[in-house]
Amino acid sequence: MATAGGRIRGRLRRLIRGRPRPKVMRPADEPGRATTAPPPRSGRGTLRRAELAELARLLTWRRPPAPAAPRVALGVPRSLSVLMVGWEFPPFHSGGLGVHCHELVLELSRMGHRVTFVTPFPGPFEPIANVTFLSPGGPGDPPPPYPGAYDVTPTSVEPPTMDRYNAWIAGLRPSIPIDVIHVHDWFGTVGARAVARALGRPLVMTVHSTEYDRSLGHPWREILDREQAGVDGADRVIVVSRHLGDQLVTRYRAPPSKIRVIYNAVRPSERLARLEQSRSMVLYLGRLAAMKGVDTFLRAAARVAPLAPDTLFVVAGEGPEYPRLVTLAAHLGIGDRVLFVGKVTEDERAVLLSSASVFVLPSVVEPFGIAALEAMAAGVPAIVSKTSGVAEISGAVFAVDFWDIDEFASRIGELLEYPALRQAMGETGRWDSLKEGWPERALQTVGVYAEVSRPWVVP
Amino acid sequence: MNIVLYLHMHQPYRLARFRYVDLGSGRTYFDEGRNRTLFTGIADRCYRPALGILAHALETRPEFRVSLSVTGTFLEQAEAWAPDVVALIRRIVATGRASLLSETYYHSLAFLLPGNELADEVDAHRTALQDRFGITPTALRMTELAYSDALARFAEAQRFRGMLAEGWEGLLQGAEPTHLYCAASAPTVALLLRHYRLSDDIGFRFSSREWSEWPLTAEKYAHWLSITPGEVIGLFMDFETFGEHHPASSGILDFLRALPDAVARSGTLGWATVDEAIATLRPRGALEAPRTISWADQNRDLGAWLGNDLQRSAFEAAKKVGVLARRTGDPAILRDWRRLLTSDHFYYLYTGGHGADLGVHQYFSSYGSPFDAYANYMNALTDLRRRALDRLGVAPPPTVGGV
Repeated sequence: MATAGGRIRGRLRRLIRGRPRPKVMRPADEPGRATTAPPPRSGRGTLRRAELAELARLLTWRRPPAPAAPRVALGVPRSLSVLMVGWEFPPFHSGGLGVHCHELVLELSRMGHRVTFVTPFPGPFEPIANVTFLSPGGPGDPPPPYPGAYDVTPTSVEPPTMDRYNAWIAGLRPSIPIDVIHVHDWFGTVGARAVARALGRPLVMTVHSTEYDRSLGHPWREILDREQAGVDGADRVIVVSRHLGDQLVTRYRAPPSKIRVIYNAVRPSERLARLEQSRSMVLYLGRLAAMKGVDTFLRAAARVAPLAPDTLFVVAGEGPEYPRLVTLAAHLGIGDRVLFVGKVTEDERAVLLSSASVFVLPSVVEPFGIAALEAMAAGVPAIVSKTSGVAEISGAVFAVDFWDIDEFASRIGELLEYPALRQAMGETGRWDSLKEGWPERALQTVGVYAEVSRPWVVP
Repeated sequence: MNIVLYLHMHQPYRLARFRYVDLGSGRTYFDEGRNRTLFTGIADRCYRPALGILAHALETRPEFRVSLSVTGTFLEQAEAWAPDVVALIRRIVATGRASLLSETYYHSLAFLLPGNELADEVDAHRTALQDRFGITPTALRMTELAYSDALARFAEAQRFRGMLAEGWEGLLQGAEPTHLYCAASAPTVALLLRHYRLSDDIGFRFSSREWSEWPLTAEKYAHWLSITPGEVIGLFMDFETFGEHHPASSGILDFLRALPDAVARSGTLGWATVDEAIATLRPRGALEAPRTISWADQNRDLGAWLGNDLQRSAFEAAKKVGVLARRTGDPAILRDWRRLLTSDHFYYLYTGGHGADLGVHQYFSSYGSPFDAYANYMNALTDLRRRALDRLGVAPPPTVGGV
């Protein structure tokens, strides 16, 4: 039953907006009739006392201020507090995961957000404004036997160790309010999910690679389960390439609506490739692991080497495949043309990347391929395998099937043979690789936080 | 008002993936399978229906006229895979109300090469037309409608009565594109100009739903033609406009079918071939073109083919190989080199430009990127260079840094 106030408001609404228009008859409905509706009446009439009182009340009513439009692109109205569950962090085992976390935390801090970073390594870490590091065990305790993110095997870390780490995370109750929990890869997914539930806050997960990929199709169940727990429990899952996102949908049954692609990035390099030099260098830089396909690099080098006598092939990095690769180079008859330089420092890495003529990343599996992006930022044209996320960012790379040795050899030969190609791809690749840097990636990440935590809504 | 409908028929020999490791392997450069599939597909969608419409219009309407240019690479592929398309062209020519135009046999950039290459390719094309259709054209159109003072002098030396050019403001300097002109550098050569706005209404905009004039009907278009002041309107476009660039579902073939009737109803419009327009109209003045202009992209220059470093370096390399190829005199080597000089290969190397232009370039390219296209092209050229050197008895260098 309509109340008096409702009736009055309805009448006022009609006074202000005019009466509802009569339905217009179309010629098809009723031929021969006028098709224009009579104009609405002006609506002027007399008001009763109660209506006048209601009108007076309504006129003094002020529209509440509109909520601020979400400005996701330039940061949200108030700073966020993020509980970030990671694993490695410089100076401890900084692989791709460590670099990503470090750059992300730096940018979040710069944007004024608070980060509580959880890692099993006890530090010391370089202090960063607004960032607190948490690790199990007290100061002075000996570092626990945790391996680097990419050295995890069933023998290097035991499930009980991981359970202890996750139980400790689950029990965390930070002294400051937390807006969002963000977990990287599988290490702390179980604990992160528990703490997110306990705090009643959303969970974001970033997947940098999957166990299927790292194990080349022989996954360890223990890790798969932890990955699955993260994918299932997270409100949003960030992946570093579309390709990886597709894999989460097919192998982990992740709903596509939960997935967001945020690529890795590089810092601009001051060193640029010297494009003209007497001796050309073709570079592989990365871990010497089976998933990296370095043997493809060597086999392709063996095909090109006779055509390019002034070219040196350099393999930089260390890993379990080293002895096999050295043997393979000798077996292919290019032992004198390939230089294994082992692990390189940051400075050596920059020099290598900027003096190479061609960079090759022939990985069997490569969720992103940040080294290729670094090479491109230095103006070096890159050849990557088709699965690499780098190929999704830029058209100025040659993307090759990881098994196609002839095609890798051809691409190397083409880049060595045609300087105009090297130059054009180098320039375009440099532009593509630097178009969006870590600040943009961090903004995109905050955008995902904003999707789940609605920070601009004042409670 | 005379309407000159001129349609250009061309298909290049697209390259197969010729890898660096294939150098010296004797593999062919051209992808016969793909060229055949593409050609027969386009023949079904475009050449057969649109040529049929034109032939019917010519046979039933005495006032209708059309002009065609047919490249040698098109004719070769048509004869191999769709001979009935050649028969349709012959049927059109037999009505006596169609012009054929001269150009380079290979739709090549030979006009940028020194020496006799351009004349040789135009000769080869002329011979091909005489053999197939018994016709000797009197007008010349250069690849991509390129035109310059130097090209007009070439046309004069080759005894052509006229040339086609883009009716672009840079060339006209305030004059109207709807008159006949002559070349300032060679006054005996008449210039018939493309009315690019009216041509692009069909060529580019016809199927665009964002266009305020969509859908374009033959009546509306004939009305636009009838209110355009001047003596002649040059509607020059790719033949593939009808059924390929715009699919039949866009109504483009119906438009073509309805156009002669709509033009006839207007009362003031008539049709002319390129030859008739050049023979009957009086030039309004002389036009200068110190720099080469074309019908492509927003800039109307050669930037679409030679605008970036990749394109220029590929062309320079092709030029050098050409010197060797011509010296060998080997027909197979010369044929492959000339097929590599087809302008389409350089078009695929386009990297920059504005949104609309880049979209058009990508539409025509089948490579993943201009870098792919360049590497492939250069491999074929490098291999050809080796063959030429081999033929000349010079040992090619086995090392990187060849061309």
